Amino acid sequence: MNEALRNIKTRRVVREMSDQAVEREQIEAILEAARWAPSGGNLRPNRYVVIEDAETRRLLRLVAPGMFQRAPVLILICTNWQVVAQHHLPAHDRALLIDIGTAAQTMLLAAHALGLASGPVTSYSKEAVRIILNLPAHYSPEMFICIGHKAETARPGMRAWQPITWRDLTHWERFPERE
Amino acid sequence: MQSNWVLKEDEAIELLALLITSARIQMDEPAHYGPLRLLTAAERLSSLIEARSSQKAREFLEGNIERIPAMHMRMSDVDAYTEGLDALCRAVAACLLRHSSLEGEA
Repeated sequence: MNEALRNIKTRRVVREMSDQAVEREQIEAILEAARWAPSGGNLRPNRYVVIEDAETRRLLRLVAPGMFQRAPVLILICTNWQVVAQHHLPAHDRALLIDIGTAAQTMLLAAHALGLASGPVTSYSKEAVRIILNLPAHYSPEMFICIGHKAETARPGMRAWQPITWRDLTHWERFPERE
Repeated sequence: MQSNWVLKEDEAIELLALLITSARIQMDEPAHYGPLRLLTAAERLSSLIEARSSQKAREFLEGNIERIPAMHMRMSDVDAYTEGLDALCRAVAACLLRHSSLEGEA
């Protein structure tokens, strides 16, 4: 199978990670991959905050009920609202959410390609994260990407709600006329 | 009932943070995430108090709370998840009885 497709199919969200450190070069490679993610209008409103400090990570976990991982590296995807304003994008423009998604998936795949475990987290208090990281007012914290190494004792991930294939998700061509 | 201190102030604040932030994010998340957040808080409390808890309490924690992470992975099976929660509730009730003056009464 094509290497890129194999990487896509074998990536999993990992919620249990070991204490093993992630090398700086690997973190930078993941960030560089995110730089190449598609961005609406090539405006690039995303900014990335990398957190390695153990105490900061501990505090972030305390305000992030969805962060089951004890990851050695956290990358926070932020929207830079100065960029949004500069380009006169409305705040509800869907491109902003799509940009977060494309950056996130690109980083998850890059991490997997480097032999690392990863998982996205969106269940946290944005206001609490803003305070803990002393974020600039024009940054909004949109999604954490946890990066680390899978724990040897990690349990299997959450099961699918129902068996699903790409065929279940796809319709070819026009839908039939409705009566 | 014994009155051992099983939670330090820092640990209690940690749990408060989890409960309060869970309340906020629940406003934006599907309703079925509610049990997940509450069970996560139960797990966190259990891990914090386990070292200093009584033998009776530890037996409950080891035998029941440890099952919670595996339950999370089965949320898609609503019936099994509900049965898992019911089993936990039965174990909690038994634990409450053991900690009460009713133990041994019939």
